[in-house]
Amino acid sequence: MNSLAKKRKQFIFLALLIPTALLIAFVAVPGVDLFRMSFTDWDGQSSTSHFIAWDNYADMFQNKDLWLSLKNNAIYFFVHLCMIPVELAFAVLLNSKLKAAKFYRTMVFMPYIINGVAISYAFSYFYSPVNGAFDSILKAFHLNSWIHNWLSDPSIANYVLASVSLWRFSGYHVILFLAALQSVPQDIEEAAEIDGANAFQLFRHIQVPHIMLMVDFVLFDNVRGAMQVFDIPFVMTQGGPGFATSTFTLYTINTAFKYSNFGLASAMAVAIMLMIILVYFIQNEIIHGLILKDKG
Amino acid sequence: MKKGTVIQIIKQILCILMVMLVLAPILLTLFAALKTKADMVNTSPLLLPAHITFSNFGKVLRNKYLWIGFRNTIVILAVSVFFNVLLGSMTAYIIERFHFRFRAVVVGLFFAGMLIPTFVTEIARFKIIKGLHLYNTLGAPIIIYIAADLMQLYIYRQFISTLPVSLDESALLDGCNYWGLFFRIIFPLLSPATATVVIIKSITIINDMYIPYLYMPSNRLRTLTTFLMDYANAQQGSWQNLAAGIILIMLPTIVLYIFFQKYILSGITAGAVKE
Repeated sequence: MNSLAKKRKQFIFLALLIPTALLIAFVAVPGVDLFRMSFTDWDGQSSTSHFIAWDNYADMFQNKDLWLSLKNNAIYFFVHLCMIPVELAFAVLLNSKLKAAKFYRTMVFMPYIINGVAISYAFSYFYSPVNGAFDSILKAFHLNSWIHNWLSDPSIANYVLASVSLWRFSGYHVILFLAALQSVPQDIEEAAEIDGANAFQLFRHIQVPHIMLMVDFVLFDNVRGAMQVFDIPFVMTQGGPGFATSTFTLYTINTAFKYSNFGLASAMAVAIMLMIILVYFIQNEIIHGLILKDKG
Repeated sequence: MKKGTVIQIIKQILCILMVMLVLAPILLTLFAALKTKADMVNTSPLLLPAHITFSNFGKVLRNKYLWIGFRNTIVILAVSVFFNVLLGSMTAYIIERFHFRFRAVVVGLFFAGMLIPTFVTEIARFKIIKGLHLYNTLGAPIIIYIAADLMQLYIYRQFISTLPVSLDESALLDGCNYWGLFFRIIFPLLSPATATVVIIKSITIINDMYIPYLYMPSNRLRTLTTFLMDYANAQQGSWQNLAAGIILIMLPTIVLYIFFQKYILSGITAGAVKE
């Protein structure tokens, strides 16, 4: 028995050794190092750097372009938030009696797996001011006056980019909601139908309580996703014109790898991390506490 | 009866609109890819030209960096996914089945690893990769995908929790050691989860732009995705050429999706129902 316990210990230790070592070296250490670097003026090259206390954080709070970038993140957040009821409705639709439901399910999720860089270029073409398809569609409906410089007009470019983000990621939420809806036990739904519940009552009293956990996840995913918008503006506008379509993550990445200010960039990275963790806890405490309370 | 039919028709219309929205940017790009330079100006972007041409595709396919990118993508993918499967299944099995000292620490570490935002961590990881002399080698993306992309743990843990514990016990009673138990009994049973991990990881790696862009600036180290970025920069303004490149780079993951969507959908939802 003693030797079995020893063998068991040995197995656990050896099997976890490599994955844990990799995780510590490439995830935990850099994660902690971000905090340390955020108090230095390291430029990414020199072998030395100076401790400058809270200077990076002070710089960060006074940086107007960074605040503008954060405001742009908020646009993605609200656009996606408004879409959640639509996504939920679509999941209910796909879960109901419907011909070709399987085909529609395939289609709704396809944007999520398509190459993000390729589709960003495809949308650059779609919204292009020269021979762009979107302008042609507007012309076909005699809406010539609606034509804009979709990607270079600072007042609308963010919404155009957010629409690309919607195109790419909405299907993911639909599929998540659909999976949650499919986990509702069939017999409960059938019993409710026999008792004369209409589609809305079925949704409100049977389906909603079952999918609250997924709604919770999607809300958190939306915050995390909106905070980390990066590749769509990176490919389509490089954050321009000026900083009009920059985002917090894009600004952070540029601060490090374009302007070699790793210290300041680390402070920004720490800020992103703290914001995500904060939202995670607020959501766990408040939303879980309030909405899921009655579920026990 | 009649009300039911009307509702069905409305549902179908909504779904068809959705399909059109999904396909529009892809089809319009395909139309452009099939046009000559003259057709780009003379025909509406919403229509196919009178005579389609494949010369734009020919031009992309003759670019040697496409094939270099293809080869690099395959190498990165094969090595990363192999280790993701091996290490991911073992880690998930141990976390899920064994109680040991420091279990809470290990689980907490992996959970924190999943919570850390991916893009900005590179600011600190960059130094480590450079220190290991992996910068500008295929080793950089490979080690990062193996070490830091942890979604396989969700998929394996969820699957392992459905396997009966009695299986382990009887195998051990029969004199099997722990390694034999894992590799000869557990791992084969995990093959549906492994299929899911392989497909989802492959798609993630093929589509990733950021890690290869950041760590492999040399043009002999292009991947399919970073090749497209170079190609786009070289084609300024000639959309018909770029469109052909876009369509070609989209193809591999679309094909994988069409054939293996069952695995993809099950794996994607496993990541969400965590904790």
